[in-house]
Amino acid sequence: MTGLGSAMDSLSAAVKCNIIPNQEYLLQGSVLDQYVEVLLHRLRGLCDNVDSGPESFHDHELCFTLRGSGPGSSMVLPLRVRRALDVPEAPWQLRYVGQHEIGDKNRPTVVRSSIDMACSSTIVEFLTELGCRMDFEYIARGYMFRKGRMKITVSKIFKMGSMTNKPGESVEPISQSYLVELSVLAPSGQDAIAEDMRVFAEQLKPLVELGKIDYKRANFP
Amino acid sequence: MQQAREEKQLETALDAIIQRVNDLKSSMAAMIYKVENEYETMNWPTFLDNYALLSGHLTSLSKLMNHDKCPPLRNLTVLPLMLSPERDEQLVQNTEGRVTTFAHDLVPDYLRTKLEPMAETKMLQLEHKAANLNYDNAQKQVTAYQKVVSHVWDIVNKAREEWEVESSSRGTAQQNSSTQDTHVLVAAVGMGKGLKMVTNPNGQPNPSSGGMMVAPQGPGRPSAPPGQGPISSTPQTMMNKAPSAIKTNIKSATQIHPYGR
Repeated sequence: MTGLGSAMDSLSAAVKCNIIPNQEYLLQGSVLDQYVEVLLHRLRGLCDNVDSGPESFHDHELCFTLRGSGPGSSMVLPLRVRRALDVPEAPWQLRYVGQHEIGDKNRPTVVRSSIDMACSSTIVEFLTELGCRMDFEYIARGYMFRKGRMKITVSKIFKMGSMTNKPGESVEPISQSYLVELSVLAPSGQDAIAEDMRVFAEQLKPLVELGKIDYKRANFP
Repeated sequence: MQQAREEKQLETALDAIIQRVNDLKSSMAAMIYKVENEYETMNWPTFLDNYALLSGHLTSLSKLMNHDKCPPLRNLTVLPLMLSPERDEQLVQNTEGRVTTFAHDLVPDYLRTKLEPMAETKMLQLEHKAANLNYDNAQKQVTAYQKVVSHVWDIVNKAREEWEVESSSRGTAQQNSSTQDTHVLVAAVGMGKGLKMVTNPNGQPNPSSGGMMVAPQGPGRPSAPPGQGPISSTPQTMMNKAPSAIKTNIKSATQIHPYGR
């Protein structure tokens, strides 16, 4: 018990001191399939991991929702589970992503709260037991770049095929483009990083127009 | 009266020219100094700035000499009035120590208006050679040269055309990304739009799925081989543009393949 108590204490102390990176600054865009090589080439030049080349990833993401229990309760808690398909021994990742805050024009990026942690593969069972329902899932395959604290992912998003129990097979891309995301995880209040991101995004124009994409607006046709 | 005015004009023109030449000289000296002493820290932009400065000075000098007010300098002659083998302090001062005497061995070089001796002998040789060639040979060489030159000309022209096409196509904002695709991807990753299960546990089509692209690939329905349904032969882009027709297609498709599982 004492161990748990002290862990809680140090956690709350960390929250108070505002050192937990729980804010995600995010810019999103896309690039057509035929130009992705050009973009990768440019990113290779701009980013830090020049020598090792881009890191590739092949992830499966499952999105669960936990609905409020009371009747008429509209509270929906989204939880995301992610696992690497190419590295089976890697731990799984559980992640909570909060509401998109678009903010006004002066704010260069979207800000959303984000908490993630490593977990084991039994997380799916655990969440199901908790009453979470799987909402949707997808496969993301692509490349990751780093530039200081910034993370840039260029990924192709695939829809799961009919064989849901065998991810990686019979998948189909959902569009003719790659999703490009530029993000930084930082403790809240570090808005200066957003400006750095805007400058970096500027360097990728006109290949990719990274911007603040409003989910509500993106929900068209 | 006329002569006095002309002399005055010449004097002012010469003063202006001397000033420009001095400007040019000092900026050249500054550049040489930089190249010699700051070559380790100097970067291209400052080097090019220096060049721009030099060419600016040269342009203003030639403008000045072409000006209407400037008397035709070509018509003037410089005559050495007196040569002396002794050291001339004033001359040393004027030339910043480069010329110490105004003597017979230096004057021909400094007041020379013809080409440099080496260039002159070379020119003479070439003229001599040209004079000795017979007509047919010369004609042959000329045509050969013309052939080569026109070939090079063609190559250069072709390259320029290509550059122009490239730069103009770059100017017209090449489309590298599609806003629609961005929105589709972001909505899919963020909210699962187009990714959600088509069937609820009770076997009804899920109204929240919304995207018609999902319908033919639901988990309850084996993925249709191409050409089986009308929908699978329709390209995706078409489907986005004609939602109403597609929806009816989905209905008919579900009738053929009811969600059994």
